[in-house]
This record gives sequence, C-alpha cells and structure tokens, in this order.
Amino acid sequence: MTKLKLVDVNYTYSEGTPFRKDALRNINIEIEDNCITGLIGHTGCGKSTLVQLLNGLLFPTSGEVMFDGKNIKEKGYDLKTLRHKVGLVFQYPEYQLFEDTVYDDIAFGPKNMGLDKDEIDRRIREAALFVGLEERYFEVSPFDLSGGQKRRAAIAGIMAMDPDVLILDEPAAGLDPIGREEILGGIYSYQRKRKNAVVIVSHSMEDMARYSDKLIVMNGGEVFMQGNCREVFSETDKLLSVGLDVPQITKFMRELKSKGVDVRTDIFTVDEARAEILSKIGGRGNA
Amino acid sequence: MLKDITLGQFFPGRSFLHRIDPRTKIIAALLYIVAVFLCDSIMSFIILLAATLALIALSGVPVKIIVKGLKPLIFILAFTTIYNVFFYKGDHILVHWKFITIYLEGVVFALIMGLRIICLLTGSSVLMTYTTSPIMLTDGIERLLSPLNKIKAPVHEFAMMMSIALRFIPTLVEETDKIMCAQKARGADFSSGGLIKRARALIPVLVPLFISAFRRASDLAVAMECRCYRGGSGRTRMTKTHFGARDVILFTATVILGTVIVLSNIYFPIWMI
Repeated sequence: MTKLKLVDVNYTYSEGTPFRKDALRNINIEIEDNCITGLIGHTGCGKSTLVQLLNGLLFPTSGEVMFDGKNIKEKGYDLKTLRHKVGLVFQYPEYQLFEDTVYDDIAFGPKNMGLDKDEIDRRIREAALFVGLEERYFEVSPFDLSGGQKRRAAIAGIMAMDPDVLILDEPAAGLDPIGREEILGGIYSYQRKRKNAVVIVSHSMEDMARYSDKLIVMNGGEVFMQGNCREVFSETDKLLSVGLDVPQITKFMRELKSKGVDVRTDIFTVDEARAEILSKIGGRGNA
Repeated sequence: MLKDITLGQFFPGRSFLHRIDPRTKIIAALLYIVAVFLCDSIMSFIILLAATLALIALSGVPVKIIVKGLKPLIFILAFTTIYNVFFYKGDHILVHWKFITIYLEGVVFALIMGLRIICLLTGSSVLMTYTTSPIMLTDGIERLLSPLNKIKAPVHEFAMMMSIALRFIPTLVEETDKIMCAQKARGADFSSGGLIKRARALIPVLVPLFISAFRRASDLAVAMECRCYRGGSGRTRMTKTHFGARDVILFTATVILGTVIVLSNIYFPIWMI
C-alpha cells in the first residue's frame, strides 16, 4: 500500500533572492508499505532535501506531499503526529545525542509521543536489539560510546518511535565495512519483521543492491530512474552516463560477457552471479 | 530561518569601499559613529543621510540586502520610536486625551532617534562588515592595536580568537538549524508552552551544539598545530595592506563630514533638540 506519495513536487531554496537554487524538480514518487526503498544519487542531487519533505520539515515550493492520502500542507494537518509516523534519521545522527544515558536518549522520541513507561521500556529494548546495542550500554553516557555504537543508539532512538515509514539518510556513512554491514543488516531485519516502509538514502550501489527492494535514482534534482533493482541495474549504460556506478559484480558480469562468455548481465548480487556462472560451467560440462 | 540574518555579513565585491585598507575603514567607522551622535539639527541630519546614502552607493551593496539586514532590528526601532512619542515632554501639545499627552517635540525626537539608529547601523556595517571580510577586519584590528604589544598585551592572540569566532558563527548557525530539525523529527516541540517549557525544550539542541563546538575547536587546534602555528611572534602576513589615495579620500571625507555636521548645528540650529 502506498504510504507516502509525492505529486509534481518542486523545491527551491531562497526563492526570490540572488542565492536562489532549484533543489528538486518534478518529483513524482511513491513510498510503499512492506518495502525497502533505496534513494540513490550523487552528493548535491537533492536526496537530503527530498527526505526532509517527507516528514514536513520542509514544504514543497509547488506540488503535493500526501501521507495516507492526505495532503500534509493542508491547514490544520497535525504535523507532530506526522513526524511520529514518519521517522527520519539524519546524516551523522550521533551528533544529536544529548541525554545522560543511552537509555534516556532512546526514550526521548517515545516520551515525546506521550507513551506510558512500560511501553517506552518495551520499545527501547526492542529497538536496541534490532541495532545490536547490548543492554549493558543502557546506563552508559552516550558520549562514552564508540562512533559506531553512538550511531546505533541514535538510530534506535527513531526506531523506538515505531514509525510507519522509517527514513535513514546515509545510515552507514563513515563506518568501516563491518560496521556498515551490521547497521544495514539490522535495518533490514527490522523492516522484514515490521513490514513497514523503510527508505534508505545512500550512494553505495553495493549496499543498495543488497538491501533494497525498490530503487529511486536521482540526478540533478530530478528522478532519473526508478524500479526494482533488476530493472535499474540492467540499464548499466544509462547509470554510467550520468557518472553513477553499478555494483562491482554487475561490472564483472559485463566484463565476462564482453570476453565472450554468454552470461546474464542483469545480476547484482554475488550469490546470483555464482549461480549463473555455475550453471554455465555445468551446462558446458554436460554437453 | 536563522540563516536569513544578514546584518554583520560580508558581501563580496570590488567596490571603492571594498578596496580600502581595513584600518582606515575602522577609523572612519568610529568617526562616522561620533558624527551620528553629534547630529542635533534638521540640517545636520540631511547631511548625515546624504553621507550614508553615498556610503551605500560606494559600497556596491544592494539596498535590498541592507534593508533585509535591518529587519531583525524592527523591534528595537519600534520600541524606541513609540517610547519617545509618548514620554517625551515639550511645549507644543499635539494630542491630549485622558492621561496621554503627545508633544510635537516628542514626535520629532522619536523620528530622529529612529533615523539615528538606522544610520548608525547602516553606516557602520557598510563601512566595516559588508565590505570587509572577517579576516581583513581582524587583521586591521590587530594592526591598529599593535602598539599595545609594547605593554605585552596579546594582541595577535586576541585578533586570532576574534577571527575564529567570526568564522564559526555561520557554521554554528547551520549546525543549530540541523540539530533543531533532527530533534523535531524525534517529536521535540520548540514553539508551544510557557517560558520554562520552551527553555527546557532547548536542552536537546544546546547539549549537542556545545559538544560539537568543542569537537570543532579541538579539531581546529590540532589542524593549526599541524601547520606549525605557534602564536604571533615572528609571524608574517600573506597579504600586506597599504594606505593609498583611496584611504586618504575616505579619511578626509569622514573628517569633513564631522566638521560640517558640527558647523551646521551651530549655524542652522533649526529644531534643535
């Protein structure tokens, strides 16, 4: 089911001044339930602006943002509730921690929603489990955690609000490969259990190929391509033409094909590639 | 939002005022401020207004930007003006209703006070902040204060601290904006409730802001030490400024402005306040 829908959205910064800048043009997208949507694009293509439109921190210069079929710009629309339902994790969320203990920090969002103590406690434990934050850290000051753990605590703070749509802006930026894997894996299992809508903003094609169901590719403030991973990554040339990459394994398969091995090139995970290559080898062996 | 504050912002350009030595501009600004306070008659105000407009023209800063920069001061302006209209006593009664008495002198004085504040801020910001980059400005202050080195005052360190502080204002403003957005996304509410509730609501913004300010300061200190910064002694400058014909012109013009204002007060004392 469609949770969020953007219709003909444009966004311009500093309208009417010399610093005027078009950030988004003609955006038409839908964010669906039970689906991880990957939002990909270069730095400065409008990804971060777009996510702030989704929970009413910014409003489009023209066009409509609809949540559950209602225009959020309408008079009297309850933005506070919208922000409870659409959780947004900003880039480098660890810089927004402020409480005395990790536990209290994760509790900040749920507390603002006016939940009772037991419910808050239940949600905190659940969210911490998803991001892999052990309970022994609960009474520690968030400023004594390592960078990766701070990130987990901050993400747990939004997950504990149990939003219908969880948006994460570059959740794995600046982490080492193991940290990336753990954070993204945690988000993945969270979504698979909750079956809600998750939007991950990233510029790593590798990560997106692994974890997302649907992709939205942005370029220069416009939606450049959208569809499932196979549809998007099969158009390698189109992606490369605007300076975007494809997963390395896709490149590898293309290379293999250009060397004369007849394999499919719309492959974007290592497991799939392995199966494809094995089937080719096996096929030859049988002949 | 917070980003829209333009007063005290540098406006890059190559105008007459932009190319003047920062030291001259600082001295001229001080003279100009004195001149503003010397204005005591209609004639001197006309001269002051003309001089301020001339400064704006010489700076090449669009009037729109200057007007926008004055917007945050509307409250102070309105307060001063209204206060003077109601409480200034004179001889010519304009309105008398119950306990309210408005005098002609009060209205004139209020207008003049408003005008004085506008001129003061416009003139000094056009002379200094709009046309001088923060680096040049602190450089100028450092060199003007350099005689104090003789009595072992840490002039260079003071100037460096000032330029770093100025440099980080926009960064911190941006950071505040970002943190506020992030906490709003977590359901924080900054715009409802009483004074105490609102003040408490700022804690989730101030704590991360302080921490990030300290983090930045420590990063900057390390970066400066990596580039062998050791304080002021023996440090040379990348750009050396020199006094030129322009500086003489600006300086003379400001001195003349002050003199003319004093003279006009004496010879045309119309509506002396």
